[in-house]
Amino acid sequence: MSWSLTLPQALRLTECLFAWSLAIQTIEFLRMRTATGDQGLWAWPLQRRDIPLTRVRRLLDGLFMPQVHQLHLALRLLAAIALFLQGGSLALMAFLFLGNVLILIRWRGAFNGGSDFLTLVVLTGLLMAHALDRWFGAELAIQAGLWYICIQAVTSYFMSGAVKALQPEWRSGRAMTIFLNSAIYGPLPLRHPLRRPAWALLGSWTFIIWECVFPLALVDVTYAVAFCAVAMVFHFLVFWFFGLNRFMWAWMASFPAIIWCAGQPLGAGL
Amino acid sequence: MTEALLVLYFVVLFATLIFKSRVVQGPWLFLLRAFFPNWKFFHAVGYVPHLRARCARHDECGQLVWTDWMLIYPRRRRHWAHLFHNTDTNLGLAQQNLVDHFWSDLNDLPDGADARQLVTYTMMERLVALELEARHGTHSHRQFELRMVLDDVGGEKDAYTMLQSPVIVCPGA
Repeated sequence: MSWSLTLPQALRLTECLFAWSLAIQTIEFLRMRTATGDQGLWAWPLQRRDIPLTRVRRLLDGLFMPQVHQLHLALRLLAAIALFLQGGSLALMAFLFLGNVLILIRWRGAFNGGSDFLTLVVLTGLLMAHALDRWFGAELAIQAGLWYICIQAVTSYFMSGAVKALQPEWRSGRAMTIFLNSAIYGPLPLRHPLRRPAWALLGSWTFIIWECVFPLALVDVTYAVAFCAVAMVFHFLVFWFFGLNRFMWAWMASFPAIIWCAGQPLGAGL
Repeated sequence: MTEALLVLYFVVLFATLIFKSRVVQGPWLFLLRAFFPNWKFFHAVGYVPHLRARCARHDECGQLVWTDWMLIYPRRRRHWAHLFHNTDTNLGLAQQNLVDHFWSDLNDLPDGADARQLVTYTMMERLVALELEARHGTHSHRQFELRMVLDDVGGEKDAYTMLQSPVIVCPGA
C-alpha cells in the first residue's frame, strides 16, 4: 500500500483540513461575543492603546466595532466552507490571510499561541500556492507552498523537543508533572501514574526524542505517515491534559504537506 | 547539496538555542509575533505569575470586611466533545496568557514608571472586576496582586508578591 500523495491531492487535502481547523476556530470566536464586547475583558476600547500609530488605530476602531467584527467572523466561516467544498483561489486566500492578521491583532498578537502560529503558516503556504502561479507556474507555486508548510511544521516539532532537551527539569521528568499539575483541568489525581518519577521520566524522554528526530520524517513517505500518526496521538494528549483542541487541528492541516514532501527526490535522497 | 543544507538548517536551529542573541522588541513585533514563531512550548520551569484578588463590603458598623485573597486562575471540566468546540476553555487559557503578558510588561517597565499606564494593567483591573463580581456579587472595594509562584512536583515551593494594586473603590460604592 502506497501512502504517497500527488501534488493536487496534497494541496486539496491541506485545503480541506485547514478549512476544518479554521471553521472550528471561527465558530469559537463567534461565541466569544461577550468577552470581546465593550464590557468584556477583551474590549477594544481597552486594547486600542496597544496600537502605536493613530491612523492605523482609527482604521482598526472601525474594523473592530463589535458588529463589524462579528460580520467579519461570519464571512470567514463562509470562506472556510467555500475552501472545503471548492478549493482555494487567490481572492479567497488573500481574504483569509488579511482577516487572520486582523484577528491576531484583535487578540493582542495571538489568541491561542502555537495554534495561531501554525494556522498562519498553513495559510501563508496556501496563499503562496495560489499567488505565485502567475510568475512561476501552478506546479512550482504549489510545491513552494507545501515545502514552506512542511519545513515550518517539522521545525516546530524539532524546536519544541530540542528546547526541552536543554532543560534539566525536562530531562529529569519533573517538568512534565509540574506542567500537568498547573493545567486548566486541574492537578493530576494523587494516584496518577505521571506523578511517579519513573513514569514521568519515561514520558518526558519519549516526547523529547520523538520531537527531536521528527526531521527523519522527510526520509521516506512511510516514515512521514508514522511520524504524523504519532503526532496525532501526541496532540490528542495535549488536548486531553491542557485543553488545547486547536493545536490538534492546526497541526493536522500540515500533515499532507509533510507526507508529500517526504515523497519527493529530496526526501528520498536524505 | 540540498540535503546537506537541510541538515545544516537543523544544526543552526539547535545552535540558536544554545547561543543567546539580543531580543528585538517593539509594539508591532509584539502584535505580529505570529509571523516569527519560536515554537517553544512548556519549555522552562520557573516562577509563574498568578493573579490574586480580594474584595470588601461595609458591615453594619460601617467597617470594611475583606474576603481572603483568592486565586484568579482558570479551571475547567474536561469533556471529549471539547476537541471540536472549546470556547470556554480557550478563553480561560487566553486569560492566563494575559496574566503572563502583564508580568512580562512589568518586567520591561523602566524604573520609576507607573504600571497603571500599561494596557495589561487596565485589562487586569477589568478581569478582577468581572471575576469578583461573578464570585461575590456587588462589593465596594477591591484589590489585586501579582504573585510569582515556583512550583515543584509536590506543590508550591516558593512565592513572592511582585505587585500589589492600590485599593480600588468601586464606582457607586
